[in-house]
Amino acid sequence: MAAKQSLSFALEPRATVDLDDYVIDCAWGRDGTSIAIAGGEGKVALAQVQKDSLALDVIGAHLMGTLNVAWQPRADVFATSGQDSAIALWDGKAGKEIRRWKPAPTPTQSLGFSPTGEILASAAGKVVTLWSASGEKLHAFAPAATSAVALTFDRPGTDLGVALNGEIAVHRVENSRYETRRYKWPAAALTVNFSGNGRYLASGMADGSLHFWNRSTAKDSQMRGYDGRLELVGWSDNSRYLASSAGNEVVLWDFGGKGPEGTRPIVLNGHTERVDSFAWQPGGDHLASAGRDWRLTLWRPAKAKQPIDVQMLDSEISVVRWSPDGKRLAAGEKKGRITLFDLVAR
Amino acid sequence: MSVTPSRVPVTVLTGFLGSGKTTLLNRILSEKHGKRIAVIENEFGEVGVDHQLVIGAEEELFETNNGCICCTVRGDLIRILGQLMKRRDKFDYIIIETTGMADPGPVAQTFFLDDELKNQFSLDAIVTMVDAKHFLQHVDTLNEPAEQVAFADLVLLNKTDLVDPATLARIEARIRGINGTAKIHRTRNADVAIDQVLNVGAFDLQRALTVDGSFLEPEYPFEWGGVYTLAAGDYLLKTGGEHDHSSHEHDLHHHEHGHEHDHHGHDHAGHAHDDLGIVVLPLAAATPAALDSAVEPAVRTFAEVSMEVACHGALARIPGHYEIDVSHEGADFKLTIAEAGAYALFCEHHPDEFALRLEGVVPVAERRFASHHHEDDISSIGISDPRPLDPVKLNHWLDYLLKARGQDIFRMKGVLNVKGEDRRQVFHGVHMMFDAQPERPWGSAVRMNSLVFIGRGLDRAELEAGFESAVAK
Repeated sequence: MAAKQSLSFALEPRATVDLDDYVIDCAWGRDGTSIAIAGGEGKVALAQVQKDSLALDVIGAHLMGTLNVAWQPRADVFATSGQDSAIALWDGKAGKEIRRWKPAPTPTQSLGFSPTGEILASAAGKVVTLWSASGEKLHAFAPAATSAVALTFDRPGTDLGVALNGEIAVHRVENSRYETRRYKWPAAALTVNFSGNGRYLASGMADGSLHFWNRSTAKDSQMRGYDGRLELVGWSDNSRYLASSAGNEVVLWDFGGKGPEGTRPIVLNGHTERVDSFAWQPGGDHLASAGRDWRLTLWRPAKAKQPIDVQMLDSEISVVRWSPDGKRLAAGEKKGRITLFDLVAR
Repeated sequence: MSVTPSRVPVTVLTGFLGSGKTTLLNRILSEKHGKRIAVIENEFGEVGVDHQLVIGAEEELFETNNGCICCTVRGDLIRILGQLMKRRDKFDYIIIETTGMADPGPVAQTFFLDDELKNQFSLDAIVTMVDAKHFLQHVDTLNEPAEQVAFADLVLLNKTDLVDPATLARIEARIRGINGTAKIHRTRNADVAIDQVLNVGAFDLQRALTVDGSFLEPEYPFEWGGVYTLAAGDYLLKTGGEHDHSSHEHDLHHHEHGHEHDHHGHDHAGHAHDDLGIVVLPLAAATPAALDSAVEPAVRTFAEVSMEVACHGALARIPGHYEIDVSHEGADFKLTIAEAGAYALFCEHHPDEFALRLEGVVPVAERRFASHHHEDDISSIGISDPRPLDPVKLNHWLDYLLKARGQDIFRMKGVLNVKGEDRRQVFHGVHMMFDAQPERPWGSAVRMNSLVFIGRGLDRAELEAGFESAVAK
């Protein structure tokens, strides 16, 4: 049947490898042949991805813990930041450290490349700084009133959103103009999420609310009722759904038609413990979620509210990341295992 | 909430500028104790020992979403703690050092924020370091030193070698007046056994609440009474004479800091103790029993109009109620005894606060009474009552109390005898965020409610009326 055929995808494990560290985050290289991995105790590792194998090399460290990892678009370079307050640039082919510097005495809490890879933005304490791809300082914004918790570029790379306590600051970075727009809400913003179509700016808040602003009218809409701090928020690739989770459920807001206002969300029930990571498939409509129940769960919310596949892993899952082509998935665990999956037709 | 054994204990270390926090931290980190300790501190670069984790934090306060302005938590702390839990080589212990001018409330409240935090960390104790050399100068002019003492489960009275025993006694009396439940350890150069500071278990709801009995009593207009055997003749009642010039330079520095941060614009003239109320009474005998029997007459005498006595003045009448001027150090007042016998002296504040003594004689017996305090002052109030409480009414009362007075109530703890409940109900709170749970059964023990409130401008009558409203009928 046609309906059944549309659900006929599943995840198939291809390879595993063990990093002797808590997997904080991982980032795929541009061509899907490598994965950079950040360890909670400080390891920085690079996994070479083959069809049915992963080869892991620990290539360096951040003393006392790695906090972030981001791969530079259109290049074979990735960046990390750590508890040691340093930012490091790494050669993602040779597996060598290129450069390391300390932008501030406080650790860099968030790190991200612009979509072209030309700008690396970092947030350390109250200061957001822009760096060239080689680590030269381009611009430092005036210190904010509060610490910057998260930052991200919008899809064209013209704006940089920064999550602060009480507002999202959106800095125009195009042509070095550095004007700032502020989207205010009296709670600590924990995430900043631009929709791919450029229409919305969303943020998960410490007061258990999800906000989204229409970027052209600056109109604020909010969804309440989350069970505590909302730290997981993500747009589907086509900007149709905004996924969010602050507990065992993944809550989806449908931005199709007139938008989600006044509608009930789609609630994805399948986890028995807190969800710690989810990721939308690039170029597709699959959503992978995972967390403390050791279950890697695959959804296709446009077609079904039930999981279309569940994979039981070896321990609590800290991170799931799709490859750039959306055909493969890496899952990292708190005990250090990284598993590579293929998305296959069943 | 379930108690998970693997929770990491956390000590909050607070103390005014220069009280010795860094010295203590260095001591703890360098001592061989086999513990892996993570330190979160606001000031950078002062502490650093190999293999121990010292994390810098930018103090970032935010209000929780319950609409209460006193429910403030530390956002940076939540992130750092989350990060620490992403290490498999778990730390055995976390110490959070606050800045010298910080209110420890938000740090402590962070651990009550949600189950996620409650399940991973257990707030062990708030430890406040007090600089013996400068405490008395600061406590009357700035808000922070008294507030930090008010929050404490453990006070480390440091630099005790820099002051004389009489001053130490005054400081301890003052600390007791603010916080009736904190343990006090005297230290020099922050030298204290690590097991006296860590794993204190002050917030451990499974441990019985220990409360210093004296402030569970009704409140008297005096904090101290003593009985003397006196021959006929003249005696001098004298205040302390030492005058410390060397400390004034430091003092100026601290005052500057204080003014910057003194948001409340609080006028502390009220408890600068310019005048001290005393009562002198004749007694039948110089015995503890006679002193006890003099309490009621002393209360009545305190209710009479007082006679103001300036420095070097005379206490002419016995029995008599006086307000003696103790604003100068080294003040004296003449007491003339016409007939030899036993005499009692009752003082509004503990005489140690002024190094007040009757020259040439020592009391045969003495007794402390529940701390007396002024409006707006920080103090502790205890309620002890055996009557069972109605759980619904109790909730109403606590709900009302915390909404109306949460900002002023720094700490609240108690063991409750709830009607129909076989187990002790215990609770612990910081401002209006608190944790409560049933503890072990009463068994054959005497069922008794013990509540302690520490805060600013607490009104015993209001608290007692509230308690009364919660008693099961």
